[in-house]
Amino acid sequence: MSIRRDETAMIVIDRAGPMATVQDAPRRGVRALGLAAAGPMDAASYGAAGALIDAAPGGGIECDATGLAFTLVSGRARLGLAGGDFIATHNERAVPWPGALDLAPGDRVAIGPARAGNWGYLRFGHALDVPLVLGSRATHLAVGLGGLEGRTLRGGDRLTLVRAPRHTETAARIPPYPDPAAMPILWGLHAHLLAPELRARFLSTPLRISARMDRMGIRLDDPAGIFAVLEGRSLVSDAAIPGDIQILGDGTPVILMREAQPMAGYPRIATIPGFALDSVAQLRPGTWIGFTPITLEAAQRQDLSR
Amino acid sequence: MPALRPQISPLGDSSLVIAFADALDDAANRAAIAAAGVLAGADLPGVREIVPNLVSVYVGYDPAHIGFRRLSGEIALVLGKAAPPPRQRDATLIATRYDGPHLGAVAAELGLTVEAFIARHAAARLRVLAIGFAPGFAYCGLHAPALTMPRRRDLTPVTAGAVLFAAGQTALCATPLRTGWSVIGYTDRLNFRPDASPPVELTAGTPVQFPVLAP
Repeated sequence: MSIRRDETAMIVIDRAGPMATVQDAPRRGVRALGLAAAGPMDAASYGAAGALIDAAPGGGIECDATGLAFTLVSGRARLGLAGGDFIATHNERAVPWPGALDLAPGDRVAIGPARAGNWGYLRFGHALDVPLVLGSRATHLAVGLGGLEGRTLRGGDRLTLVRAPRHTETAARIPPYPDPAAMPILWGLHAHLLAPELRARFLSTPLRISARMDRMGIRLDDPAGIFAVLEGRSLVSDAAIPGDIQILGDGTPVILMREAQPMAGYPRIATIPGFALDSVAQLRPGTWIGFTPITLEAAQRQDLSR
Repeated sequence: MPALRPQISPLGDSSLVIAFADALDDAANRAAIAAAGVLAGADLPGVREIVPNLVSVYVGYDPAHIGFRRLSGEIALVLGKAAPPPRQRDATLIATRYDGPHLGAVAAELGLTVEAFIARHAAARLRVLAIGFAPGFAYCGLHAPALTMPRRRDLTPVTAGAVLFAAGQTALCATPLRTGWSVIGYTDRLNFRPDASPPVELTAGTPVQFPVLAP
């Protein structure tokens, strides 16, 4: 069935998990404003959902592990689904994940819960009719900016899908995720503050993904308390990036994610390189994560080969 | 410029930091702001974003176009040349209602009456040291040692427009957030408007002053 892309369409959200948002490409060049780039937690899966249907570069929906359901109330639409591993149905019939669907008026799509992963992506052949804010439709929840009124999606929300040029995503496949037991790291801006023994302990002691995660960061459980020695360590604020592993004032390690503030005042001991960060977003609470240093050159080679 | 020899370190796989000091220091802040300006005009290959921090400069780059070592070399070359002196600008006035919840405690800790603290704070000629931490959040400083005191131990939720004070600095808060700084007052001047161009009016290096706006 061919879909005419000049039609508009509308969906109504029937049910949304607590962290569902409109997402889009990260905002470029906004660090000087004090703003995080935001964008999808798992950018590779966002891209893959789009690539399945040659999606328009006009945003999509990110849902949490509890999923989301919607009804196409008018128009026709193509839907691409990817990210983690979710149960999904189209008019009560199970459909594959990842996958692509053609939707007719009245069709209902229900996603979730996730069998694996934390984040799922819905991309359409249309663009989402929400305002571009500083060049992107991405919701920045912590600041209440972008997306639909800067907030999470909830039941009853209507989203208009508008005509958009067909687009071929570059990321047609999700690259293999690294083994969480050997998560690659680069040493961070403040690694020199760690005594050699503490560095060695960090590399030999797995930490655990906690349930305290949001779009700003993922807190890690450190049952052995290896970072207690850094308690109360505060520094002159300096540049911080998604992937940085920061030790908070109470000794808690946090992996900074897509909405992390661009400046931070706690020590950042290591950084998870860009090619591996999408995989970290999908790690479930309770997953043990071990760290393996790699060279900057190796990280950049991996990134280019994606 | 810069008289200080900066240290260039990688930050992740597609950015680096040029540090002029490891603690807050007026000369290092001036050097960082000046260096960011010089680098922005240097048209370095593969560079995506240049942003001054309190005592360093963030440089984002595309590793498909340039590697860390070559970019560090290019940066060192550019910063080794003499830079034009910063142009003199009039201070931007941030009219402030001095009625924040911690005003009395701040004055007491500094051994001043509230009136004396307000007078000295309103007369202080400061610069925007950096924008960061939150959208449009302006770190302004540096105050004289007599007006320097630490952050609070507790976090206070504040509204946009709060004027914050701690660590030898005054900060202008443009979005609601929780902060360990003392809240000394409020202003109507918001330094982040996403639909304005540019969205942030005060930038690093801008001279600022916080005159009294009668409540």
